[in-house]
Amino acid sequence: MNLKQMISAQARRMAARSPWIYRINAGSCNGCDVECATTALIPRYDVERLGCQYCGSPRHADIVLVTGPLTARVKESVLRVYAEVPDPKVTVAVGVCPISGGIFRDGYAVLAPLSKYIPVDVNVPGCAPRPQAIIEGIAQAIEIWRGRL
Amino acid sequence: MNYIKTLIQNLVSGPSTVSYPFGPAWTPDNFRGRIEFKLSSCTACRACEQVCAPGAIRFDKTPEGLRFMMWHNTCVFCGLCEHYCPTDAIKQTTDWHMAHTVDQEYGMAIRETIAYVTCTGCNAKTLSSAPNPAGVEPPFTAEEIEQHRNLCPACRKKALAERGAAS
Repeated sequence: MNLKQMISAQARRMAARSPWIYRINAGSCNGCDVECATTALIPRYDVERLGCQYCGSPRHADIVLVTGPLTARVKESVLRVYAEVPDPKVTVAVGVCPISGGIFRDGYAVLAPLSKYIPVDVNVPGCAPRPQAIIEGIAQAIEIWRGRL
Repeated sequence: MNYIKTLIQNLVSGPSTVSYPFGPAWTPDNFRGRIEFKLSSCTACRACEQVCAPGAIRFDKTPEGLRFMMWHNTCVFCGLCEHYCPTDAIKQTTDWHMAHTVDQEYGMAIRETIAYVTCTGCNAKTLSSAPNPAGVEPPFTAEEIEQHRNLCPACRKKALAERGAAS
């Protein structure tokens, strides 16, 4: 094993402990966004115990949380931002909207389900899901992400 | 000086972080979570399908009977189906452990069939639905419920009228 391989293996081992999270709002009503923010910012739920951190740039992200039913207006922006997230990435659909459309299902301005456009890995149903449910989904996403590293 | 009190309180009470997912999480008793369906109580009135805002509940006619379908991934937990169900066949539980990987997406559903039976009174094809709305007098015994389950609506009406006249 040469030096490059050693560094690469070490980096993989260390990176597996701390996936960074990025949020995309695909036309959400803000309910799920509030719960996502609660999951990260309030010490009561504290997602950083799992080694996660919310990051501001899609280029730093490992796990993508998508909220909202993917409205026609934001579709191009969402796909563009999603393409900027480097591989390997895990996508978590938060709330029922990206999974099926939820209350907006079959609406004329709504392109749900999200999985028609983006490969989704974990679904967290709820309207909005409670913070513990989001943490549960993120824990499953971390397991998938470790398998992909 | 209030902050000293808070400081001491915090030292004594320990961290406020909920230990989930490493420990149990507290759930309120009236939490509106996953829907549960009890086939034996369903009268096939389809009120839940009417009131379901996101269209999560659907009834299909199949050769075997009337199929009740409910997809948890569309449910918004509003509780209208539970509120309007005349027989308490639909209940909301406090279960919120619903995060799943995408390969289980279409397994997150309830699929139950209210079977067709032959009416014991007139031999017509009818649904084996529950005859007993919750809280309606007079209450039926278990044997009567089983008898009425195998009657068509017209024969059931007749049987109820005769029963009322007898008592």
